[in-house]
Amino acid sequence: MRPPWVKGAALPAALGLLVLVAVASLGAGEMHLGPARIWDGLTGHDTLAAVILWQIRLPRVAVAILVGAALGASGLVMQAYFRNSLASPGLLGVSSGGAAGAVVTIGAGWASGSILVMPTAAIAGAFLATGAVVVLARRGASTERLLLAGVALNAMLGGVTSYVLSNFTISYERNTQVVFWLLGGLEDRSWEHVAIASAVIPCAVLLWPLGRPMDLLSLGAPEAQSLGVDVRRLRLWLIVLSTVMTALATAVAGTVGFVGLVVPHVLRLLVGPEHRRLVPLSLIGGAVFVLSCDLLGRAAGGLRLGVVTALVGGPYFLWLLRRQA
Amino acid sequence: MNALEIVNVSLPGRLHAVDLRLKQGTLVGLIGPNGSGKSTLLQVAAGLLPTGEGSLSWQGRDFKGIGFAERGRMTAWVPQEARFEFGFSVRSVIGQGRYAHGDDGRGIEAVLERLDLQDLALRPVNQLSGGERQRVLIARALATEAPLQLWDEPLAALDVRHALEVLMLANELKDAGSTLLLSLHDLRLAHCLDSVAVMHAGRLRAFGPPAEVLTPELLREVFGVRARTAPGLLLELS
Repeated sequence: MRPPWVKGAALPAALGLLVLVAVASLGAGEMHLGPARIWDGLTGHDTLAAVILWQIRLPRVAVAILVGAALGASGLVMQAYFRNSLASPGLLGVSSGGAAGAVVTIGAGWASGSILVMPTAAIAGAFLATGAVVVLARRGASTERLLLAGVALNAMLGGVTSYVLSNFTISYERNTQVVFWLLGGLEDRSWEHVAIASAVIPCAVLLWPLGRPMDLLSLGAPEAQSLGVDVRRLRLWLIVLSTVMTALATAVAGTVGFVGLVVPHVLRLLVGPEHRRLVPLSLIGGAVFVLSCDLLGRAAGGLRLGVVTALVGGPYFLWLLRRQA
Repeated sequence: MNALEIVNVSLPGRLHAVDLRLKQGTLVGLIGPNGSGKSTLLQVAAGLLPTGEGSLSWQGRDFKGIGFAERGRMTAWVPQEARFEFGFSVRSVIGQGRYAHGDDGRGIEAVLERLDLQDLALRPVNQLSGGERQRVLIARALATEAPLQLWDEPLAALDVRHALEVLMLANELKDAGSTLLLSLHDLRLAHCLDSVAVMHAGRLRAFGPPAEVLTPELLREVFGVRARTAPGLLLELS
């Protein structure tokens, strides 16, 4: 049994951790900045620090927080929806769908038209993948079924991405852009990316009150309905919010795997399965996890974010699989 | 007034033109061989499946005109079996029975005690045995305080003492004015019921007091068994 104080302390602890990692992330880089200089930079008293922070590091940290929050919450929602703690945006192919959508617009040269083109295409691609999983899972979302559907979708959507890579090599620059999606990363993020990713915030607000009915849904849809939940409406909201959040994260940072799997799972071990607690914690926990992985990757000499989350999350997932069997 | 009224409900391949009317304050058993449509009929009664051309009403009100939360307060449904993926505590799963009452948490302690679950209150439900899970589901249904209780094989996984206790509980609920429809396999318990509804191949084959309905002819036709009365073991709660 976990001690009762853990539940109450979890939210303030997560917020404190987020501030800590964010400050560390703002300070880290070619030029190290201590907390005092960060303060001076943010308030404009230190011109050099101000340029570094406002132009480079703040947008990167903001994107990392929004991407992490989006993926952490998406994973939580998918796990409740499919009643399976191994469901997550990466494993189900939703991230790949978002990436394929984005890559097609880059390959076709539409992405330069407006900053809204790529996120829109990512959302469309992600919905394609979600739709396929929802249909496949209708006859029961067993772990085998979900994972196999994910394997197939990831392979198919990866094929689309490879096709664009191999047949639309119009320019070196465009190809580099595509490689960015495949690896997932936070390099050179600008305020434009923050603006796109900030659409995660209204999604999080809409998700907030759904925690309690998610408890009931996660123990069975007909049961939830008989207890007074409008299951069809709840499911529609959940699938739309998690898909849009995953797609937004993919649109600004590429495919960053395992966040949606690891974060809700660790949090459930810490504070239990109640979603009213898990919704805010997954948002914050996802942000902490992505910021930490980004920091770790930079400390390790420039490992990309997607690589770090895979190196951390992959073994955790395998351990989970072994424990489940 | 009928507590439950199912009129002319058909579901392709599962139910054929079923009519069932239950009076308020009765304890009714739903019997029939495997695959005869008992679970489907219970789900129809609970408003969880489409009624097609037919109709469903509770306490004289058409089901379609009742909002989701009110449905949760009017009926409770106990599934035949439940798979719990997540480790909610027994107490919090029973607390879900109060969802449609604004999660007021009322009556949960009493229900825990009634189903002999106090010692398990903090245990995660995904670590319970089949019989313990079944008692948790019945407890959750009880917590709703719904006047119409629909239980799908509530006794299937229970040991003999808990099974008798649940039957006694069903009788108490009936005496307090609730209406109960529960599917059963053990025909020897039929004498505890006000009436039985017999399902056979998706049709309601017979409905009435057990002594009138459960004739040797019907048992042979529906179940393919020969009925014989013989002295046997009789178990009662001590």
